[in-house]
Order: sequence, then C-alpha cells, then structure tokens
Amino acid sequence: MTGISVENIAKRFGDVAALKGVALDVAPGEFVSLVGPSGCGKTTLMRIIAGLEMPDAGTVRIAERDVTGLRAADRDVAMVFQSYALYPHLTARQNMAVPLVMRRLNGWQRIPFLGARLPGTRNIVANIADEILRTAQMLSIEALLDRRPGQLSGGQRQRVALGRAIVRRPKAFLLDEPLSNLDASLRVQTRKEIVELHRRVGASTVYVTHDQTEAMTMSDRVAVMMAGEILQIDPPERIYGDPADLRVAAFVGSPSINVFDASVETGGRVAVDGYATGLATRASGRVVFAVRPEDLAPDQRVGMPARVEHIEFLGESLLLHARHARTGTAMIARLDGRERGAFAVGHDLLLRPDTARAFLFESGGKRLRAERMAQSAAEPVHG
Amino acid sequence: MADAAIHRVAATAAVRAPIGEAAAAWLLTAPAIVAFVLMLLVPTIAVCLLALTDFELGVPTFQFVGLDNFAELMRDRNFAIPVRNTAFFVALVAPLSILMGLVLALLIEANPRGRTFFRAAFFLPVVSLMVAMATAWQYLLHPTIGPVNAILRDLGLATPNWLGSSEWALISIGLISIWENAGFNMVLIMAGLTAIPRELYAAAEIDGARSAWARLRLVTWPLLGPTMLFVVLITTIRAIRTFDTVAALTQGGPNKASELIVYTIYREGFTYLRMGYASAMTVVFLAVVLGLMALQTRLIERRTHYG
Ligand SMILES: Nc1ncnc2c1ncn2[C@@H]1O[C@H](COP(=O)(O)OP(=O)(O)OP(=O)(O)O)[C@@H](O)[C@H]1O
Ligand SMILES: [Mg+2]
Repeated sequence: MTGISVENIAKRFGDVAALKGVALDVAPGEFVSLVGPSGCGKTTLMRIIAGLEMPDAGTVRIAERDVTGLRAADRDVAMVFQSYALYPHLTARQNMAVPLVMRRLNGWQRIPFLGARLPGTRNIVANIADEILRTAQMLSIEALLDRRPGQLSGGQRQRVALGRAIVRRPKAFLLDEPLSNLDASLRVQTRKEIVELHRRVGASTVYVTHDQTEAMTMSDRVAVMMAGEILQIDPPERIYGDPADLRVAAFVGSPSINVFDASVETGGRVAVDGYATGLATRASGRVVFAVRPEDLAPDQRVGMPARVEHIEFLGESLLLHARHARTGTAMIARLDGRERGAFAVGHDLLLRPDTARAFLFESGGKRLRAERMAQSAAEPVHG
Repeated sequence: MADAAIHRVAATAAVRAPIGEAAAAWLLTAPAIVAFVLMLLVPTIAVCLLALTDFELGVPTFQFVGLDNFAELMRDRNFAIPVRNTAFFVALVAPLSILMGLVLALLIEANPRGRTFFRAAFFLPVVSLMVAMATAWQYLLHPTIGPVNAILRDLGLATPNWLGSSEWALISIGLISIWENAGFNMVLIMAGLTAIPRELYAAAEIDGARSAWARLRLVTWPLLGPTMLFVVLITTIRAIRTFDTVAALTQGGPNKASELIVYTIYREGFTYLRMGYASAMTVVFLAVVLGLMALQTRLIERRTHYG
C-alpha cells in the first residue's frame, strides 16, 4: 500500500536535465520532506507528481492508481504553492470553495443565478459552506473568511492557501516551500501547526524546503536531492547520523561537517596527514574523512595539530574555528559554552575526532563502510 | 594639509545646501508643469472663454455673448445629427473592437507559435498613418472596382455603395475603426495577460478547472479586470474623437450621414470660421467625454478593485 509512488522519473528542459531517474515512495499518511539546494529539481518533481508537468519517462502512482497520463484536475492531489497562488479577486471563503465547487457542481450548476435554481445545487452548496467552516475552524481563520488575499498578512494568506488545499481531503498533499515567505518566528510556529494539521488530516505529504531544520523537525523521512537525483531517503536521525553520501553529510548539519583529505595506508588504516584516525577500510588510495563539529574536541595527547582562528560564543555552545597546522584545512569544533575562557585566538592545540562517530567516503562522494581499529592502533603514527 | 581638505569639503557642502529638497522637486517637475499649463490648461481655458463670445476668424472685433452659443447649439439640427451619429458609432466600435482584441489576444496567447508575426500584423493599423490607410480602404470598398464588392458579386449578394450611400457610410467608417482599434486593444490585452501569474493557472488546474473556459472564468477574466477598465476607457475615447477617417473618406457625407462631432467642430471652426460657436461645441464635447469617463471608472472600478 502506498500513498504516492514515483518511479524512474526523468525530465529535461532543453539541455538541462532537471530530473535524472528519481524514485520516491510515500506511505499513506506519511510526511516526507524533500530538501536540496536551489535548482536541484524539487519544484519540477512536485509539478510532475501534481500533473502540471509531464515527465519524459517514469510513472507516478497515487493511492495505487497509475496517474501518469492523467491531468492535474483528475488526480486526487492538492498543492500549496510558494507564492500561495490565491485568487486575488475572491475572498478567503470563495478561494476555499473553488476546489469543491469545481468538483461537485457541473458546468450548468456553476452558472451565476441560474445555477442556484437547478435541482440539487442548493444542497451541495450548503454542504460546501459547512466544510469550509469546519476547515477554517481547524486553521483558526474563521474571522478572515470574508477578506480578500490583499487584505491578509503573509501568514494569514498561507493559512488560507493551506485551507484551500485540505478542504477537499485529498489523498496526496504537496507543499512547495510554503514557509519561505514568512518571518523566522512565524515560521517556527507554522512548522508545528503544519505537522499537527498533517496528523489530523492524515494524507500522504511531500513537503519541499531548502531549510534543513524544517525538514529534520517535521518529517517522518527526509529525501535529500541534488542535481536532479535523490541521494538518500531516510528518517532524520539516519540522514544526520548515517549519511550515504558526502553531499548529504555536507548539506545536513550546521555548521557543516568537517571534511579532510585522507590516505589509506598499510593494513587499510586511514590517516589524515600522518594522524591515524583509528578507522580502516578495504578501499585504497585517497579517501575522505569527515567528522561533525560536535565530534571534534581538543585533546592533550593526540589529535590533529591546529591553530585557533576565530571563536564564536553561542551561549550554550562555543564554535572553535581552526585551521590544520600543516594542510591548512579549515575545521570547526563545537564545544561546551562554559569552556569559553580556555581558548584564545592564535592558540595551537590538538583536535581529536571521535572515531566512533566519524565517516569515510570515497573521493567520488559515496559512503565507505569503515571498520574501527583496536584502541592501540589509534595512537599517533608519529609526532 | 588635512585641515585644508576638510575645509574644502565643508565649503562644497555649504554651496550645495541652499538647493533644498523642495526646490529640487520643483525644478524636476517644472518641465512637466510648464508643458501641462501651456498645452492643456491654457487652451482649455481659452476655449471655455471663446465659447462665450461671437469670435470669428478674420473678423477684427468680437463681443461677449454669454450663453448664446450654447442656446443655439441646443436648437441646431446640424449639431444634433453628429451627436446621434457619434453615439451610434461609439456603441458599434467600442464593444466590437474590444471583443475582437480580446479574442485575438487569447488566441495568440494560447498558441505561442507565430506570436510575434500575428501581433505585428494586427498592430500594423495602429502604427501606420490612418490617412494613408484610408486610401487603401477607399480602393477596397469602391462600389465598382473594389475587391470587397467583387467578392460579394461572385457570391451573388447585394453590392452596397459602402462609402457613398447614407445607409452604409457610417457603418463603413465604423468597420474601419474596429479594424484599427482591435489591434491596439489586442496589444494592451496581451500585456495584461502576461501580467497574470502562471501559478494561478496551475492552482486552477489542481482545483479542478478542467476546461479552458473554466480557467478563463476563474482566472483570466477577473485578473484582466484592471486592464479591461483601461481598454474600455481608451477605446471609448478613441472612438469618440475619430476624425481622420471621416475627413479622408467621406467628409461627413453623404448628407451628414457619416458626420461625427469632431468633424463638425472642425468644419464649424475652420471652414465657416465661427470660432466662438466651435468652442461652445468643444466645451460640450469635453464635458460629455469627461462625464462618461468618470461614470465608467466609477462603475468598473467598483468591480475590479482587489485591495
Ligand atoms: N519551465 C522550465 N524551463 C526550463 N528550465 C526549467 C524549467 N523549470 C525548471 N527548469 C530548470 O530545471 C532545474 C530544476 O528547477 P526546479 O524549479 O525544479 O528547482 P528547485 O529545486 O525547485 O529550486 P528552488 O529551491 O530554487 O525552488 C533548474 O535548473 C531550472 O533552471
Ligand atoms: Mg522550487
């Protein structure tokens, strides 16, 4: 049983390959975020799921039904646009009525004045009014129903757009960066409300954002997309703690993960400029060693030699910006904010990665399964 | 050294200071104000004043006659006919040329191939000299050698004397005006169409607006409102002040059948040289046009204001 299922979708715009064989499965009622940098194809994928764009190859299924050839109006999807796309000449109430009126009334019944006199119209219209009111209560926008979009604030408009999308209880729910036009505090609040709303409505949801915090906090699973490909789809904690690709590791987490050029030495031991990391691999040649800022800490005895360049005090934590003494690689360590007095710009120190939480990647970016070596092997090779 | 530099800077600032923001504003708007006063305000006031006199071109003296000119106008059959003609003309030209412009714009917009060609083709009448175009129309509509009548004859239909008969002259001028204004309106409406956000059509499609007609009613038509207000106003004005086609093709004839107000004013003032009387006509004309504009704006703006 799937809510939304996308297989092998490819799409080109002239010379630009916007999507290169994308696959994505969303279970019924699941909330999946689609994150990635600007231009990676998120909107294009959404438009293809919605039926606003036809893919060059691949299939789209919604609630087990192959809808690849169907147009948007015939798929059971609702979409919230980044710009909200509310009809400016209609009130909030009328905006929310449009999807219901278009689906439940036929062309004759929609004719002004005349339509209202046709048999059945009155009943349907009364039902529609009821459903709008119920949805409006859910979003607490009852008081705004008779205003036009021009008379609403950005956040209110966004709610009306949400209302228009959920009022007809779609099987699939698509949101394209719905929060990007809101200010920071409103964004945090609306984030929570959307999650809550999703829990109540229960439709399969794809949520596009390029804000990783949104993706990590809201979703059941996160799909990280880059250059027209989905690199990894996993629950947030695995996206963060077990990235499948260096680009995923680098995209998720702030400040970004520390990345070191490393070499594989005898016995598969991985070393960064002579420092034995304590990881081993079957691969050979150059690899990439990566460790998150919170897993890098000063050590008295062993570690990578570094000089402190800049200290950022964030209150509960402290960001130590340093540079590798020999290779010049920039690194950031996140420390407890109470250690503030212990460091000064220009200090030389040893920074030691937590081997258990570091990652190895091929130079091409794919994750390498590393083995941890015995404690004794983790001692410095020299100096 | 440094001191000198500072003094120099201070001195420049002191020189600049007297030209305040307000003065600069006046300076910048001055050309527009002068042009407005010289070219619009003064002539309008002059016309209003002249309308109260019996001024005739070439006659050295003139007298203040009060509202006599207006009283004469009310009784003048020679003024009543062009007023009626103009009303008929506007009622014919404005709706049809707006409708045609709209249909052309929607068709061209729906089929992007050949867009530039069609746009240029239909805009041609606007940029070409109407007097020159009139010559072409004179040939096309010629009762005996004109291609229009040749086709009608081949089809076995009646062949009216388009520009020469009193039943058809005004209608013929109207058809030419429709052809001219439709292209103009099409370009205005196309500009309005491109200003409609694409995402609204996507939203309409997702909301279940299956047919082109449903999307037209839900999105295009309402969002075109402000553009249409402008189109209706400008077309009405352009129709009311039609002059060149009449002057070039029929001179108002036959028997005043195709005489429009502006042509009457022109003849009264520059053929009969009765400037005072012509000015009175102009004042009435101006008042009617302004009243019409105010009415239309009021009526339509109420329905297109999305505030
Ligand atoms: N209609 C189009 N014509 C041509 N190229 C397009 C079209 N739509 C998208 N593209 C291209 O396809 C690629 C993906 O675009 P898309 O809008 O899906 O990116 P996105 O991930 O949504 O970016 P953003 O985060 O900035 O919204 C981009 O390189 C873009 O230039
Ligand atoms: Mg996008």
